[in-house]
Amino acid sequence: MRLLLVEDDPLLANGLSAQLEKAGFSVDTARTAREARQLGQQESYQAGILDLGLPDGNGLDVLRQWRTHKVSFPVLILTARGDWQDKVNGLKAGADDYLAKPFQTEELIARLHAIVRRSEGRIMDTLTAGRFELDENRQTLRAGDQTEHSLTGTEFRLLRCLMSRPGQVFSKEQLLDQLYSLDDTPSENVIEAYVRRLRKLVGPDTIKTRRGQGYLFDADSR
Amino acid sequence: MPIAARPHSVRAMLLILLLPAGIGLMALAWIIHGALLERMSTDFVESRLKDEVAFLEHQIRQSGGRTDTLQTGDYFQEVFHHAFAIASPSGQSISPKTWTPLLRPLLSSEQEGAVRVRDAEVPAAPSEMLGYRRAFTVDGNSFVVIVAEDMEALQQSQAELHTWTAVVSVLLVILMIGSIWVGISLALRPVVGLQASLKRLQSGDISRINANGPEEFRPLVRQLNQLLDSLDDRLERSRDALANLSHSVKTPIAAVRQILEDTSRPLDKNLRREMASRLDDIDAQLESEMRRSRFAGPQVGQSACPVKQARDLLWMLGRLYPDKSFELSTDLPEHHRWPVEEHDLNEILGNLLDNAGKWSSRWVELTLGEDQGRLKIIISDDGAGVSETARSQLGKRGLRLDEQTPGHGLGLAIVHAIVERYQGQVHYTSSKAGGLSAVVEIHGSDRFGSRSSN
Repeated sequence: MRLLLVEDDPLLANGLSAQLEKAGFSVDTARTAREARQLGQQESYQAGILDLGLPDGNGLDVLRQWRTHKVSFPVLILTARGDWQDKVNGLKAGADDYLAKPFQTEELIARLHAIVRRSEGRIMDTLTAGRFELDENRQTLRAGDQTEHSLTGTEFRLLRCLMSRPGQVFSKEQLLDQLYSLDDTPSENVIEAYVRRLRKLVGPDTIKTRRGQGYLFDADSR
Repeated sequence: MPIAARPHSVRAMLLILLLPAGIGLMALAWIIHGALLERMSTDFVESRLKDEVAFLEHQIRQSGGRTDTLQTGDYFQEVFHHAFAIASPSGQSISPKTWTPLLRPLLSSEQEGAVRVRDAEVPAAPSEMLGYRRAFTVDGNSFVVIVAEDMEALQQSQAELHTWTAVVSVLLVILMIGSIWVGISLALRPVVGLQASLKRLQSGDISRINANGPEEFRPLVRQLNQLLDSLDDRLERSRDALANLSHSVKTPIAAVRQILEDTSRPLDKNLRREMASRLDDIDAQLESEMRRSRFAGPQVGQSACPVKQARDLLWMLGRLYPDKSFELSTDLPEHHRWPVEEHDLNEILGNLLDNAGKWSSRWVELTLGEDQGRLKIIISDDGAGVSETARSQLGKRGLRLDEQTPGHGLGLAIVHAIVERYQGQVHYTSSKAGGLSAVVEIHGSDRFGSRSSN
């Protein structure tokens, strides 16, 4: 399995790549952001390990560039700061997991296997309806004005259902199938609450109510 | 004047505001003075002229309409210093003669009462004159009497007076500017003093600013001193923390160095494990110190966006645990703010959600709410839950924060420490699906008034 390791500390990079090769990966090492950008876009890897503090730039910028160039291998970021906001920013930039330094090599390898497994059979896919673009892989919604909204699981599934066939009316029962809930019999009020929340993201007229029938996604509404 | 383009100096601002106002008011006073002066002199002259006309009328009536019996010539003019014109059936008499071109048209006009003539161009007669005309009949004969006064001379002296008033006004304006300037300078003197104190503070001559300023500056000085107090406090705390940290970190470093320097000793498995555990100690110390420094605690002006932050964290955990569902349930509006430091709220939500994500089987729900000024966070999962007896131990473990290691309840201990700082509570119940439900409650409002600095 080919893996790209981006780490500027030579001692850590050498030690890690030796251990990763022992675990069955074939490792390419990049020491700078420039090198990482090039290698990531030219070669095809199954996974990447990305250190955020690089001498000539920020690792998150490298990651964003990879993702805009449709480089889709799963990436695990290494960070010295274990801040929640840093983690959120990392995942928003397109990472699949994070690990705070210092870490144990066994954990790193376990996480790598996990993100590789998760990414297998995954396709970079977006669902587009009108000015809305739903990123199926990252569970995010991009509206016409380029703002990106992160969605919770149920919000994503409901929106995917509605956006899959714009203009078609979905009954509340159909939408309830998209819901996981602790309640054995989730009520229809729950659907109403989610639709209310989704309307805040896509605009009040985009999801229309058909009284007594259900809801529909109107892609052309402003 | 546009107030929006605020001048940078108080002095300039006061001058810009006060100077035009002062000059404007002075000019207005001068104009009013001129108008009043004019009106007063006109009224005065007019009433005198009226009296004289009445006197002449009386004379004519007494003489039975025979004007020739009146003492003509310059008699009246010499007595009253005024010009006269009398028209009677027997003829017109005008005195002095040079005024004839001015007065004759008035005799034949129909106008009664005060008559003003301006800009007349008659040699040896004034260009401005005020006359009083009266027509009456005596024994069937009609008479017209006009008494007139030369206004030119009067106007000249009036103008002179008015000019002097202007000169005095200008002098007063200059005096006013001077006094405003002096006033501003005196009023601003404490600022210079404050500046000097700050300079001395910076150079270390004094440790606090002297509070003996004017009344208006005392709150400012008090606030500055409070800020200095809290800065000192923080500095001392961070110095202490650094000293403790360096003390606890240097020992493991010394131990590891010792092993590495001893070339005669083989690096066996046991030794490697020892070295790794020393390095782990250093990491744990650093981590806990970092966390301690990150807890901001309650501070004025710090606010979090709970819905936005929660959404981001739920989305992230949904990505990390792809087979589990992380849901948000809240009635708070999207841009609602809580008086909690952003990073603190992230720590509370992140640690509780991460924990719930680890132990849940499929489902985690975060509820955000506000009830009578109390901020409420509930995180429920559908995992195996925690027995009632063990719940009281959650987040405690009988250990201090810095003695705990990651992965062994550190997250919950962090949550407890932060919530305590906000004088809130964390308690645990079982969720409706049998899992654990963590409830965090924090007082939302009226909390900062009593603790302005901390």
